[in-house]
Amino acid sequence: MKMLLVLLVLSLVSIGVCASDFVVDEMFTPEKPKLGGTLTIRLSSAPQSFNYYGTLDNAAYTIAAQFLRGLVDLNATTFIIEPALAESWEISEDGKEVLFHLRDIKWSDGVPFTADDVIFSMDYFIMNRFAEGNEIARFTIGGELVRWEKVNDKTVKAYLPEPYGAFFNVLSHAYIYPKHKLESKIDKNDLGSVNRLWLTNTPPQEIVGTGPFVLKEYVTDQKVVLEKNPYYWKVDKWGNKLPYVDELVYLVIQDNEVATAQFLAGQIDYMSVSPKDYPYLKQEELSKGKIKVFKGEPVKPTPSPVHITFNFDTKVPELKDIFRNERFRFAMEYALDRDRIIEEVYNTLAVYGGTPVLPSNKAFYNPNIEGIRRSYDLKMAEQMLDSIGIKDRNNDGWRDLPTGERFEFVLTSSNVQEHQDIAYIFSQDLEKIGVKVHLQILDRTLVSQSTLSGDYEAAIGAFGNQPDPQLRKAIWQPGNHLYYNHLSTMNKETSEPIFEEMLEWELRIFEDFEKAQITMDQKLRKIYYDDWQALYAYYVPFIYVCKGMELSAKQSDLSNFFVNEEGVIVYLNETIFKK
Amino acid sequence: MKTFIIRRLLIMIPMMFFISVICFVITELQPGDFATQYLNNPRVSPEQVIQLQKSLGLDKPAPQRYWMWIKGIITKGDFGYSFAYKRPVGELIWERMGWTVSIALLTIIFQWIIAVPAGIYTSLHQYSAGDYTLTFLGFIGISIPNFFLALVLMWLALQMGATSVGGLFSPEFIGAPWSWAKIMDLLKHIWLPVVVVGTAGLAGLMRVMRGNMLDFINAPFVTSLKARGLEEKDVRHHIIKNAVNPLVSMAGMQLPDIFSGTIITAIVLNLPTMGPFFYNALLNHDQYLVMTFLMFIAFMTQIGNLIADIALAMLDPRIRIS
Repeated sequence: MKMLLVLLVLSLVSIGVCASDFVVDEMFTPEKPKLGGTLTIRLSSAPQSFNYYGTLDNAAYTIAAQFLRGLVDLNATTFIIEPALAESWEISEDGKEVLFHLRDIKWSDGVPFTADDVIFSMDYFIMNRFAEGNEIARFTIGGELVRWEKVNDKTVKAYLPEPYGAFFNVLSHAYIYPKHKLESKIDKNDLGSVNRLWLTNTPPQEIVGTGPFVLKEYVTDQKVVLEKNPYYWKVDKWGNKLPYVDELVYLVIQDNEVATAQFLAGQIDYMSVSPKDYPYLKQEELSKGKIKVFKGEPVKPTPSPVHITFNFDTKVPELKDIFRNERFRFAMEYALDRDRIIEEVYNTLAVYGGTPVLPSNKAFYNPNIEGIRRSYDLKMAEQMLDSIGIKDRNNDGWRDLPTGERFEFVLTSSNVQEHQDIAYIFSQDLEKIGVKVHLQILDRTLVSQSTLSGDYEAAIGAFGNQPDPQLRKAIWQPGNHLYYNHLSTMNKETSEPIFEEMLEWELRIFEDFEKAQITMDQKLRKIYYDDWQALYAYYVPFIYVCKGMELSAKQSDLSNFFVNEEGVIVYLNETIFKK
Repeated sequence: MKTFIIRRLLIMIPMMFFISVICFVITELQPGDFATQYLNNPRVSPEQVIQLQKSLGLDKPAPQRYWMWIKGIITKGDFGYSFAYKRPVGELIWERMGWTVSIALLTIIFQWIIAVPAGIYTSLHQYSAGDYTLTFLGFIGISIPNFFLALVLMWLALQMGATSVGGLFSPEFIGAPWSWAKIMDLLKHIWLPVVVVGTAGLAGLMRVMRGNMLDFINAPFVTSLKARGLEEKDVRHHIIKNAVNPLVSMAGMQLPDIFSGTIITAIVLNLPTMGPFFYNALLNHDQYLVMTFLMFIAFMTQIGNLIADIALAMLDPRIRIS
């Protein structure tokens, strides 16, 4: 009887452990691990802060992602939402209430994680409009904010003003902060004071999290050391606690050549590779075998897909009418030699998928757009231009406007090498068909300033892909401040959309986004976004050029870092180990 | 001498004030500000950018911002606040001061150790094979861009089996407590920045030393010394002592040059100095950080000149400071 009781207690304890632990997707752990050791990665700039919501700094984001977690996680490869700090959730029938059951876990300093931490993070960081990197816009639906309520220590409830399809994707980026460490340091009369927490001079022991690693040391401008979080809640299929390595070291190396040299010297375990370095590194792989280089299908938002766009609100009235005419934009797409650009500018290391949604994004990609996209055909481009009256009227080799003036425009590009090269190739092809293009190459900051203020004629730009189109609504939906080819669709004072300014197809895109936003039915959302992608592909407000492939290199002894059957590079810092 | 130093220090005050105005105007002329670069981030709405500009004081008129900055420096020794790091600028610069000064000083020592003997040798063996060889090497040093030389040397080091390239330490020693092994590791790394940064100025110093020596070799006082039967060794001593004076005044300018002129080299060599930090501050529109750094360089130039003048007066009592 005693024995039975002991067994019962033991089994209850083990159930308890299993209930709070989460087994990582086995696709990340094909190889049985060797535990311990250090993983060293490059960081291309020194962090300006360790506070995800207090800065807009990529280095800070990279580090924060290692020690913080949100209520839910986005699988890095499949983009499927997985439980994280919330073990499970229930959505009400009307889609307006979500009840989250929190995982029974501890912060990296051993203090229990509770619903108070969630409410605290929402109030002071995620939905605090005074936090520099806040996400309040993503939690505002139809002008109203999502409301959070603590039900008990292990349950929180979110009240949504409308059903919100992208809610879980948005949540996967919302990191939960420790109330017990930060609340006393916030000046309640100055909510901007949250920006001054977890700065680069904060003692590492003050920074606690629920992620796989925890900050151990920061050597100014040189390296960031993170160590295994003893309370991390993920395990592998064999029951090993993650992460596999004891330490994760980020070496701050600004220059690409030095990073490559350090990688070849064996000091960096894996790194992303530029198209320029790819052939050399591949050669190294083949001759020495110490490293392995991967060419993966693009999955990540960066590098951003490059596009060419024409300003519907340009100050030159003749150009404005032409740019708004879809046949002109068809002509421009016919004149774009994507194959040559991929070959010459990207060293063949880019794919056609230069669209708002990547083909690898199975959840939202509309494959029909392949059939809509116009391929390089200068004859067709000429026909299109002829059909809208842009012809050579005085036989000087250049096309003219119906008024007799030469048709010419300024194409603005940043001094980023790829953009410059694309601008040059595109303008060469346009000259072949008698279109005069004046290239204006400016510093990147100046380009975004002139484009976002509407002061340009045509421009080459790049915007990132995101797993969920909703996250980039400000770019793709007319009536938003980043829909920069037609800024008059938004009232600058009120930020409200101006429907009278929208063309018929732009109105449809606007509605697609509005409808997709307020449905929790993911299949229905895809239908709306399919329509949006088809409209974009047909009317080309932005002509997508291409998207760079994901290029990576790793040391040969690094395991659980590979390319899967679909051509996607698969790895997680917490499941990588060294043989 | 005391009066001279005090007077020089007093003149520095209006000079620094004038420089501060120029620094402010230059950074102000840079298009955009720290907050506007947030505009093309889809997470941030235009209202938030306006709010951020307001909270950072960027909505205030330029003269007012300048006045607040300068008032902070005078009254509290506060050089302002870094928008990106949200920390006092003085603190951030101070954190990076150690290695910046160490590398600059080591580079100057390296330049002098090589340039002075080489200048003496080439002047005493004018038009010899040695003279031509050293002059040729010196000019190569001037003409090869520092960052390129750095890349070539790193590549060579890698080909020869180096296990760590760039930086001042191997990754395992970064942040480790000082030990014999750490010092040895530093020595394995530090020669590269010192040689790379040093080579550019080296030829100049060498040529000045050579020219000065040649000027003095035929000077009347040397002829008189020789006529009095002084040994060749002692005559040389006098020539060298006189020839080195202009080099001392040059040294005053070397320090700020090494601070400001090696930004790209420091990025390429991955050095934890102020160069890459300043470069990023410029890109980030981190206004007070940029202005303070520029002021710092100007201040160093003035201090360098002062030290050079004092050193000259001490070396050669004939120089009367007035």
